[in-house]
Amino acid sequence: MSSEVKDFNHKVAPDWCPGCGDFGLLAGLKKALPSVSLETHDVMVVSGIGCSSNLPGFINTYGLHTLHGRSLPIAQGFKLANHKMTVVAVGGDGDGYGIGVGHLVHAMRRNIDMTYLVMNNSIYGLTTGQTSPTSGFQMKTKSTPFGNPELPLNPLTLALGSGCGFVARVYTGHVTQLIDIVQKAIKHPGFALIDTFSPCVTFNKINTHQYYKENVKDINKLGHNPSDLYAAFREATREDCITTGIFYQSDRPCYEASEEETLREPLFAHKLGISREEETALMAEFV
Amino acid sequence: MMVHSKQRNSVIVRIAGAAGDGIASAGEFFGKICARQGLHIMAYNAYQSAIRGGHVWLQLHVGSEKTLTHGEKPDVAILLNRTSPAVHIPDMKSGGVVFYNSSLITEDLSKMRDDLTYHHFPFLETVNVPGATAVMANTMLVGCLIEVLGINHELGLDVIRERYSKKGVEIVDLNSKVFERGMEWAQQNAKRFDLALKGDGKKRMFLTGNHAFGMGFLAHGLKFYAAYPMSPSTGILHYLATKAKSHKIVVKQTEDELAAVNFIIGAAHAGVRTATATSGGGFALMTEGIGLAGMLEEPIVVVNVQRGGPSTGIPTKQEQGDLNQMLGASQGEFSRIVLAPTDTEDAFHTAGRALNLAEKYQVPVLILSDLFLSEHFQTCVPFQVKQPIERGKIQNSVNGQYKRFLITDDGISPRLLPGTPGGMYCSPSDEHDEEGIVTSDVLAGLPEARELRIKLQSKRMRKLEAIRREEMRPPTLTGPQDAEFTLMGWGSTYDAIEEACQIFAQFGTKVNHLHFTDLFPLPTEKVLEILNSCKEVIGVEGNYTGQMAKLIRMETGFHIKRSVNRFDGEPFTGEDIYNRVKKELAYV
Ligand SMILES: Cc1ncc(C[n+]2csc(CCOP(=O)(O)OP(=O)(O)O)c2C)c(N)n1
Ligand code: SF4
Ligand SMILES: [Mg+2]
Repeated sequence: MSSEVKDFNHKVAPDWCPGCGDFGLLAGLKKALPSVSLETHDVMVVSGIGCSSNLPGFINTYGLHTLHGRSLPIAQGFKLANHKMTVVAVGGDGDGYGIGVGHLVHAMRRNIDMTYLVMNNSIYGLTTGQTSPTSGFQMKTKSTPFGNPELPLNPLTLALGSGCGFVARVYTGHVTQLIDIVQKAIKHPGFALIDTFSPCVTFNKINTHQYYKENVKDINKLGHNPSDLYAAFREATREDCITTGIFYQSDRPCYEASEEETLREPLFAHKLGISREEETALMAEFV
Repeated sequence: MMVHSKQRNSVIVRIAGAAGDGIASAGEFFGKICARQGLHIMAYNAYQSAIRGGHVWLQLHVGSEKTLTHGEKPDVAILLNRTSPAVHIPDMKSGGVVFYNSSLITEDLSKMRDDLTYHHFPFLETVNVPGATAVMANTMLVGCLIEVLGINHELGLDVIRERYSKKGVEIVDLNSKVFERGMEWAQQNAKRFDLALKGDGKKRMFLTGNHAFGMGFLAHGLKFYAAYPMSPSTGILHYLATKAKSHKIVVKQTEDELAAVNFIIGAAHAGVRTATATSGGGFALMTEGIGLAGMLEEPIVVVNVQRGGPSTGIPTKQEQGDLNQMLGASQGEFSRIVLAPTDTEDAFHTAGRALNLAEKYQVPVLILSDLFLSEHFQTCVPFQVKQPIERGKIQNSVNGQYKRFLITDDGISPRLLPGTPGGMYCSPSDEHDEEGIVTSDVLAGLPEARELRIKLQSKRMRKLEAIRREEMRPPTLTGPQDAEFTLMGWGSTYDAIEEACQIFAQFGTKVNHLHFTDLFPLPTEKVLEILNSCKEVIGVEGNYTGQMAKLIRMETGFHIKRSVNRFDGEPFTGEDIYNRVKKELAYV
């Protein structure tokens, strides 16, 4: 049995504003999943809180729609308990780079096999337009009416510096590139971060669809070699244009390799309890 | 007051020195020897949040019969460093014996008290066995103790053999020699105690509550454990980490407690039995996750090993100050269970019971331990798993539409493990309908959503009533029925309160003991019935405000008017409770 895109359609229609960049991401994800031979029940989509984090309610897979900033610990715990399923975490820039950034750094160095899609709109959408960790310097938002005095965080260099084995960025309006990168990220055996430019048409009048359409350049088309970490840093910090594509991919083993014996069977399927002999042995240690 | 005067079948030993002197390890060695002889030991380790430099001591109460607490005044003290005499000599029981390290302690101790016998024990010089090192002085010290207490030294040699066999015969021989040197020294220089320490020959374990929690989880199907180190809960992490490979479980140290609780929520969702442990501050960070588990109806177990609060508080000291925090953790209302085991063995069984209750009712189960229960060593007969693993309603396949939050009479909806074909659903932290579809955004406030809210919230809360009715154990009432008054306690103070009752009995006062392990939800009617049968109830709590008494009043209306509260960081002993209660009773 093989699945089709329509199998992933949910009866609940997204409640995002018309034109929201998150529609593009949802469409791309729904196309990417069947193309890597996944059935609807093979996939667990985990999110935090935010407009973008509502996504698990709009896709017909298993889903967990959790707490603001906590999608990654939940997704990782789930993955270790059932590593046969494909785990995709999704959320916003506030969710992943603000309140949840501590988890992100550790998830990247830990390298559990999962994909993380951040719908980065450089704004807090659900809470109606405050500054986010990726809002530009001097950007005016509801919480920074006189301009944002802080510098934006660069998710790509953060990822590269944290040992992330798959680092990519894409604009959600570029569906073909998005699908291609999502497929590769899912197939990548380790933690994959895809930072996606997903414009908030309601609260961010700077980082618009128009803006990304005019300014992004696909570095993979420009001959970037994704196994070159230094080149990846360079591409991630370019100022002449906004770069997209796969910046870096390494082949370091994923976390699960360190639990090979234990995870021969998914943890949830293990037989529970201990034998009388094991019980005696546990006690004997203290006699 | 002399509690042990009439029958010398127990003895209190205190070993004191600098942090890093290996006192804990000497105590464990000595404890194991006694445990093998079938003696009972209750040991309490007084230490600070410093790896070196602090002054630490270990008090061991050894007896032919069960010793209920570590006791108050030592009969024997071994003082290893310069700080020791001033701290410990005033505590000694009259007629007690002091062995002190005369290589470091040079003053004339008899000037401090003349009712004690002093033996200067030149540790370093006396070792004198070729190849022996300074740390081996502890082995010698244990040899000396074994000799003066009249304990079978063969058992000591056995333990040495087992301890050091991996390091080779030479090390075994060397330690055995040092141990025997300690015995010889005692034979020549000290008198054997006039004691009747008789073991019953039963081999007992010598372990802490944290070991018992870890073992209890392991024995009852735990497969995933995540935690962030925090005293005094870390022992569970350490224990389980050593068992991860052999028992095929995943043990994960996470980046913080926010991660720990959310990792286990993810694992629980996948259908794995899972737990975490922390102390008050870490528990505070887990709070939002505990509410998430309430909303998503995920079976998780969280152990809070209390220490002195508030804030960082006293990391290495005792308190029962977090009950309110457990009751109030997280916003909104949801079903939860709070259990407080009484002792080391109960910790083992409570771990299993918590895993069962969590899965059966799909709720967070919170276990309240404390520094005393989690870290003190005591002897226990090997535990046996008593409870079969009960996983509650889990369905393995889907027939038609699966509803994760199906409304049922008892409020429990069958779980379907993710990955099952045809059962896709999303569990949201937002309010939702039976299928898990969010009703809190575009629908919020509409009549339909309000009705669903009532149904779903009532379904989740119905579980609490089922738990109260079916599962919660009423408090135990032990001791004379016609007692003049009743001491009420909860959790780890069980044995100390029992000891206090015995002391009252020795002095001819009839006192009984009401003890709670199942703190929330309280089986209200039964609790009230028992309370009403008591003449006068006095609360005994390791906190300032009497949190349990307040909970009882809130849930039952019963007012416990008197209480004794200890919050200096030290655990209760029977003698201490006795004195405090007497003082309380003196104010009329
Ligand atoms: C602990 C906590 N703090 C704050 C909030 C309020 N809140 C909800 S979503 C959000 C920010 C959303 O921004 P982002 O993650 O970028 O998602 P977007 O809506 O932009 O897609 C905040 C602050 C919350 N739900 N939980
Ligand atoms: S507010 Fe912005 S992010 Fe939220 S749905 Fe509307 S466009 Fe999208
Ligand atoms: Mg955002």
